[in-house]
Amino acid sequence: MPKVNINGTEIEVEKGTTILKAAAQAGFEVPHFCYHPALSIPANCRMCLVEVEGARSLEPACYSEVTDGMVVETKSERVIKAQKSVLEFILLNHPVDCPICDQAGECKLQDYYMAYDAQESRLRAEKNQKVKVFPIGPEVLYDGERCILCTRCIRFCEEITGTNELTIVQRGDSAEIRTFPGKELDNPYSVCTADICPVGALTSRDFRFKCRVWLLQSTDSVCTGCSNGCNIHLEHFRNEIQRYRPRYNPQVNDYWMCDAGRLSYKEVHTDRLLRPMSNGAALNWHGVTETASAKLARALDDDAGSFGFVVSPQASCEDLFLAKRFIEEVLGTDQLYLGGKPDGFEDDFLIKADKNPNRQGVKAVFGGLNDFGDVDKLIDDIESGAIKTLYMMETHLPADAETRQRFVDALDKLDLFVLQAQHCAELANQAHLALPACSHAETEGTFVNFDGLAQPFEQAFAPHGDSLPHWQIFMRLARAMGQPLTYTFVHQIRDEMFQASDADENGEPAEAQAE
Amino acid sequence: MAEVLITLVKIIVIVFVFVLGVAGSMTLLGDRKQSARIQNRVGPNQAKFFGFSLLGFPHFIADGIKLVLKENIVPAQANKFLHTIAPALVFIPALIGWSVIPFMDHYCTGTVMTLPEHGYTEVCVDGEWKNYFSIMHMNSGVLFAFAIAAISVYGAAIAGWASNSKFSLLGGLRSSAQMISYEVAMGLSLAGALLIYGTLNINEMVRMQGNLLGDWLPMWGIVIQPLAFFLFLLAGLAETKRAPFDLPEGESEIVAGYLTEYTSMKFAMMQLAEYAATVFIAALVAVVFLGGWQMPWVYADGIRIFGNHWTPFGEEVWYYISIVLRIGAITFKILFLVWLQFMMRWTLPRFRYDQVMTLGWKILLPLSIANLFITAVIVTILA
Amino acid sequence: MGEVKTKPVERAEQGLWEKSYIPEILRGLSVTAGHFFRNISPRKSQRRIFTKNYPEEPTVYPERYRGLHRLMLRDDGQVRCVACMCCSTICPADCIHIEAGEHDDPSIEKYPAVFVIDELRCIVCGLCVEACPCDAIRMDSGRHIPPYTERNEAFFDRDLLMELGGLSQAKQGGDRTPAAAE
Ligand code: SF4
Ligand code: SF4
Ligand code: SF4
Ligand code: SF4
Ligand code: FES
Repeated sequence: MPKVNINGTEIEVEKGTTILKAAAQAGFEVPHFCYHPALSIPANCRMCLVEVEGARSLEPACYSEVTDGMVVETKSERVIKAQKSVLEFILLNHPVDCPICDQAGECKLQDYYMAYDAQESRLRAEKNQKVKVFPIGPEVLYDGERCILCTRCIRFCEEITGTNELTIVQRGDSAEIRTFPGKELDNPYSVCTADICPVGALTSRDFRFKCRVWLLQSTDSVCTGCSNGCNIHLEHFRNEIQRYRPRYNPQVNDYWMCDAGRLSYKEVHTDRLLRPMSNGAALNWHGVTETASAKLARALDDDAGSFGFVVSPQASCEDLFLAKRFIEEVLGTDQLYLGGKPDGFEDDFLIKADKNPNRQGVKAVFGGLNDFGDVDKLIDDIESGAIKTLYMMETHLPADAETRQRFVDALDKLDLFVLQAQHCAELANQAHLALPACSHAETEGTFVNFDGLAQPFEQAFAPHGDSLPHWQIFMRLARAMGQPLTYTFVHQIRDEMFQASDADENGEPAEAQAE
Repeated sequence: MAEVLITLVKIIVIVFVFVLGVAGSMTLLGDRKQSARIQNRVGPNQAKFFGFSLLGFPHFIADGIKLVLKENIVPAQANKFLHTIAPALVFIPALIGWSVIPFMDHYCTGTVMTLPEHGYTEVCVDGEWKNYFSIMHMNSGVLFAFAIAAISVYGAAIAGWASNSKFSLLGGLRSSAQMISYEVAMGLSLAGALLIYGTLNINEMVRMQGNLLGDWLPMWGIVIQPLAFFLFLLAGLAETKRAPFDLPEGESEIVAGYLTEYTSMKFAMMQLAEYAATVFIAALVAVVFLGGWQMPWVYADGIRIFGNHWTPFGEEVWYYISIVLRIGAITFKILFLVWLQFMMRWTLPRFRYDQVMTLGWKILLPLSIANLFITAVIVTILA
Repeated sequence: MGEVKTKPVERAEQGLWEKSYIPEILRGLSVTAGHFFRNISPRKSQRRIFTKNYPEEPTVYPERYRGLHRLMLRDDGQVRCVACMCCSTICPADCIHIEAGEHDDPSIEKYPAVFVIDELRCIVCGLCVEACPCDAIRMDSGRHIPPYTERNEAFFDRDLLMELGGLSQAKQGGDRTPAAAE
């Protein structure tokens, strides 16, 4: 294994390691624009130049591999001078419109300028003008003046999605990124280009002007868009999710996530059920718990055999675990049905057809899916009167619009319909009791992805309105019905649950590499 | 009948015109204008009568109206009866004490003669003394004044307890502890003077202060009992619970002490009682130590100094002039002492509570006992 | 748990003179009495009262007085602010509310669709002025914040703030050739 000396630090690295990675291992940052760990290395920005003893010129650290006995200087005078020159070149025609640039605050050019350059522009002529606010794709906008032509976006479309939409047109200081004729930057992962763009040249249309990035607080979470369970930074400001950003996890999503998943945060803030309701009248939790427990107890007394329960694969494992205990210990019914969103688009990269984040969790908690009836059976049972009382978690059903309408119509036949959900949908009005549950952003929990990987997510902010996590609602009802389930923290449920299940408790994502 | 009418007139003039007038305008002049001048400010001047700010006097009226119109709040858990009666318990004693303060010697229906050989005593020839210038002629006047003043301790303590507030209770405790402590020193420092005068009758005490030592130095209490004067003044300051002894209302730690739960006129009464107490202490100091209505060398039958006697404008006229001069003298003394107390208030920072207690028990008390002892020895020897 | 750092401070020694208090009290009294008599002296020139009778004697604000905010204008009268939120970020009172909007002109791009300052919450620190990269917000209007009777009267919105605005000396970016905008 080659030994290198970086800034006086001896370090032994794998053969074939680049200087940049070796320096990172030795604890030295080498500034870089075009290099991205998941993409090929074009070495075109020259920001990463370092001095190698014996070499005539400075070497790009991102590309050059270490050799045994190499002596590298990343902070010598020549390097510093080179870094200043490179930044001066890049900034030559740069508009420096940071005040209106969405990247400001997480811009590499800003950071490097402050760290490695920090001198005034010597340009006295007018700056070169290029396109601004160019609609390069349905989700992404392009600003030619801010682009530093690092080609990360081009390589992403070539190497990751294989869609090849982008290229560089023109030459010299007129060069810009464009789509090939007749194409748009329109692939299911297009916003990832805005993520990897080191500057504000490519920006997300959804996030545009919404919030300054330095105001965001970031919480480690998991995307609920599909069963792939991409790891995300859930970024929020004042109790509102502003955007999702992929979080590096080589086991699941690497550095990427899909556009649909990115926008799935909107569900958290639309059509929320925020107050406990009884027949359309808003109540407080105290009142509704009493009403609900009384009604449920009466329904159980009357006819325990006609009690149905819809379990949702949208809920976290902890919620499901308490649902299971609630069903078994309090309700004592075995007529279970499986809710959740219907299947959708799928590809061979990240997007999965199953649009529910936790179907595997249901499997793990309930020990398989065989006990669950499907939607048709649910509707039939309601219509035939086999089900008189229905307790439903979440509003989703794996059914097309027509079947769903049948279900909604059939609800009239029920004696008691309890809905415990995040959203109102069309069901909250029909429900005799509607209990507001909170989203994954407002509580913590675990999702098991399609692969059986259990991944924890954190709480980002306090529950909206009067909503409560599912598990707490079950606890309230159980206590009111005289069979208390007592937990205080999610991790108590989690520990107990993992003892009872066979899911792979391996949710800790690996450390992200320097992007 | 005439007696009753005269007494009523005296009460009205002394209590309502003089005491409330002085105490009330003190709230204005002393607390606002005086402090403003000390601190290089102008003080209140925005409320005006016909465009004149009149030293800020309209503010005083406005405050009064405001306080009357304020909502009278009694805390829900307070003892309503005691909470309501406490301000009266504080306020009334501060006024009753005035009944024994003489504003002038008794009126003589005949001629007054001063006997220099008998310690410049004034005697009434061919007539009798008529008490026109103090509400009540009482042989144990000093004791009465003290006894009445002591009642206001109850007022503060009851106010503190009845409010059902921790701050009020602490304030009430502090004020009763402080007042009781200083009453001891006050009484003992007075005792020295009493030994010398040999009387509890305040008017007699003032008369005796008309004596001239070596025919020129007025034998006022401050001359024969200088230490007692200081002790009494200090203890009196502490009695009034005004700065620097305003610990019962220490804002920094107990909000407003026993006043915390008071509003409207009850609050105003408590405040006014404090000012009335200030004026009352000034009056006590004036009569006991500063010669009361005595004016140096001015006697009812003329001016006397170094054995000379000279009666301007003739005896009849001079008697009336001397009455005016003497009433003016005691008024001036009282006002000066009030001014001095306010000066202290705006000069000294507030004590710490332990310092207040130390000062009362470890300094003032031993000093006043020593003073009493020495006075007693001297009086015995001289007798 | 680090060591608690202490720095012993010598107490000023008190002599017997000071410990006996009375002379010091008298000294204090002489100071306050001095002020008192100087300030009631009939000769007004002797007095040292520095109270300004504000509404009767209007005050001239110093040049750098921080008064009511104003939003500066572009050459064509549009608002200079680009809704970068630097001011609302730095504002310690959190009293600036901005909602950014997309401007029709791509060379301006971003502008404040909503810009409201709650002048009641403002602590007049001037940090917003310091933070603005565009010389768009200033507090040199020379007017103090007026008194209000209703809370919402104190919400100064964009157009109100622009009424006080003026042109900035700073240059407003480069001219854009129409060709470059495609
Ligand atoms: S890309 Fe970076 S440096 Fe350029 S305007 Fe945007 S934030 Fe500023
Ligand atoms: S748009 Fe961004 S990622 Fe693409 S070349 Fe320009 S700077 Fe690089
Ligand atoms: S002056 Fe200070 S408090 Fe007022 S708006 Fe500006 S930053 Fe905020
Ligand atoms: S700092 Fe200036 S440009 Fe930015 S939002 Fe505030 S006023 Fe507008
Ligand atoms: S040349 Fe090495 S990072 Fe761009």
